[in-house]
Amino acid sequence: MKIIYSLLGLILLILLLLPNFVSDYILGVFVLIFFYAYMGQSWNILTGYAGPISLGHSLYLGIGAYISTKLAMDLGVTPWVGMWIGGLGASLIGLAIGFLGFRFGLKGVYFVLLTIAFGEIGRLTALHLKPLGHMMGLFVDFKPGLANFHFRGNLPYYYIALGFMVFSLIVVRVLEVSKWGRYFVALREDEDAAESLGINVFKYKMIAIGLSAFMTALGGTFYANYIFYLHPTSVMSMWVSIEIIMRPIIGGIGTLFGPLIGSLLLTPLSEIARSYFTRAGLEGIHIVIYGLLLVTAVLFFPGGIFSFIQKVLKPILGESRES
Amino acid sequence: MKKKMNRRTFLKYSAAVGATTAMAGAPTLLRAQAPEIKIASIQPVTGVISDIGISMRRGNQMAVDDINARGGIKSMGGAKLRLLLGDSEAKEDVARSEAERVIKDGAVTLVGPFLSGNAMAIATLCEQRGVPFVMDVAAADDITRKGFKYTFRVFPTTTKFADSMLFYMDKIMKEKNISRIRGVVTNTGDLFGRVQGATFIKVLKEKKFPIEVLGHIEYPLGIQDLSAEISKIKALKPEVLFPVARPGDAKLMIRELYKQRVELQGIISPGSPGWYEPEFIRDMKVLADYVMDNVPWYNPVGKMYKEVNAAFAKKFPGKYIDTNSGYAYLGVLVIADALERAKSTKPDDIVAALKKTYLKQDLMVGLAVAFDEKGDNINADTAMIQIIGQSIKVVLPEKAAETKYVYPMPKQIWDRGA
Repeated sequence: MKIIYSLLGLILLILLLLPNFVSDYILGVFVLIFFYAYMGQSWNILTGYAGPISLGHSLYLGIGAYISTKLAMDLGVTPWVGMWIGGLGASLIGLAIGFLGFRFGLKGVYFVLLTIAFGEIGRLTALHLKPLGHMMGLFVDFKPGLANFHFRGNLPYYYIALGFMVFSLIVVRVLEVSKWGRYFVALREDEDAAESLGINVFKYKMIAIGLSAFMTALGGTFYANYIFYLHPTSVMSMWVSIEIIMRPIIGGIGTLFGPLIGSLLLTPLSEIARSYFTRAGLEGIHIVIYGLLLVTAVLFFPGGIFSFIQKVLKPILGESRES
Repeated sequence: MKKKMNRRTFLKYSAAVGATTAMAGAPTLLRAQAPEIKIASIQPVTGVISDIGISMRRGNQMAVDDINARGGIKSMGGAKLRLLLGDSEAKEDVARSEAERVIKDGAVTLVGPFLSGNAMAIATLCEQRGVPFVMDVAAADDITRKGFKYTFRVFPTTTKFADSMLFYMDKIMKEKNISRIRGVVTNTGDLFGRVQGATFIKVLKEKKFPIEVLGHIEYPLGIQDLSAEISKIKALKPEVLFPVARPGDAKLMIRELYKQRVELQGIISPGSPGWYEPEFIRDMKVLADYVMDNVPWYNPVGKMYKEVNAAFAKKFPGKYIDTNSGYAYLGVLVIADALERAKSTKPDDIVAALKKTYLKQDLMVGLAVAFDEKGDNINADTAMIQIIGQSIKVVLPEKAAETKYVYPMPKQIWDRGA
């Protein structure tokens, strides 16, 4: 265990010092890596650990982004405070969806459908609400300053995104070794068996979805203040949900480092492929290549890359690690 | 089966690697000999609106090629422009990332990106990095209301659309001695339709414009039957119909007006894509005649338009300069003009030059490009187009007009022998 913690410490140190050596563009790529790793980790809590599959996580991202942005634009509440309010809002909606789903015992694809349906309801509602910018979307004022969560360079965004990512790792690690986390995994593996052992299935699923929605919404605030434009199609649509879950799927669902590894792989790959093939006559090739890589990853690492790494490292480290 | 690397395969691979390196490397070496200024085009060349993105990228690229063919930026020793290409995939985060990449690669000014949301992401980034950004197409008012110093827009704003519509209506009414028009506004129930319809009515009310709206009718996008809506319109007895439509319902509407013999003096759209699409005119034939639409458009009588369009059609067979590729071309001209006067590639010098822009052009409808303090092109304009003899003609403003508008319609729809 010690080896692993020192290795992680070393990696963190490298990441902390990294901005001294790279350009704003590379920092931007890392911001996206951390952001998607964080979002994937938030989703991982619900689907990876507790089991219910959600394909509507963009709803929480959107709620978090819109609440904190509207609070900042109309009432002058700093996003640093607004993000927690947004998180609570998303958590409430998540709990409502969870209540409907878990109270009535929706499982498998039926729960997936429920999350998709609520995601779409959220998107369409936001599209028709005038205060949220209607069809034109919400244009966020750019006011540089720490209190406004707006910065000129990528450096502050880099450290904030890194902080988010590390925060999510800590939350999930604490969860993993806690009673809650064990219950989550028990639910995921066999709900009936877990229930027969006395675990309150409904309660722990509700905790998972509430926490997952809350954390996803915090990421929404980051997105709003990094991109400066919110439109229901670009923050609440289905493809955003898919973008969120892609990293943990490739990296390893239900593992601590899966989302981060998936993001470390996919985000730069799509950037490199795009920057290399974005030239006249080759429009769209990068998407084909990205798709092929995804298929390859799923074919060769069906359990996620992290499981593969674990398998390889096991004889070297000589210890078993819980997942 | 595992393949071993022997001498022969090694040679084969190294030859291949060598050839690729030579191919990739050679042009760079050649290019490095002439002074070169990098600008970047960020367009949605893949994703949901890739056809528009590609067309705009072509407009950007052709402008760069033309400027280089004319000797580059003369004030800087004939420096050639080089266009770095970015693909926004029609997504905001990708647009931002691509903008960041081209800035890292040395782009001194950015041009793009068709979508207002993408424009906002890029404009904020350009403000953060202090790099000038010229929006060729993007209409949302809000982008230039954020106090950005580095962002300029060649395209007309949404407000300008509505203002121009009233300006043209005013002109038609004055010339035809009409003091008041009783009209009905219709729109599709999607967001574009709703916003266009509601904005038009709002502006009419705000300006107390003498168009009386007898009714405002909305129907869902993709509707299959408009008979009930048209009966309603017929009962209201309007003189003019102001429809915001897409090609599908535009056709339904004309057919139904024909069937129900609705008497109208004109069909004038405040701005919607339904009426100028080739398929609408092809299918409706004479019934399509005399419909008017208020849209940003190329200047069909302009010398520059004729030259650029001929070259564009030659280079990309079957394609013509349209609103988007035309503005994309113009956007690059604006940048080149600013570079020429700035005699420098420093961002602040370029911004100072952009602010003083007065670029005469007759590529697009509208006068010389000049920016106000917000960075909007004060002379950007829409055109009133009309279908006459089953082809699209610009009828207003007069400077760009191919022919005089026809109002009221000389023959009712059902009276045209179709």
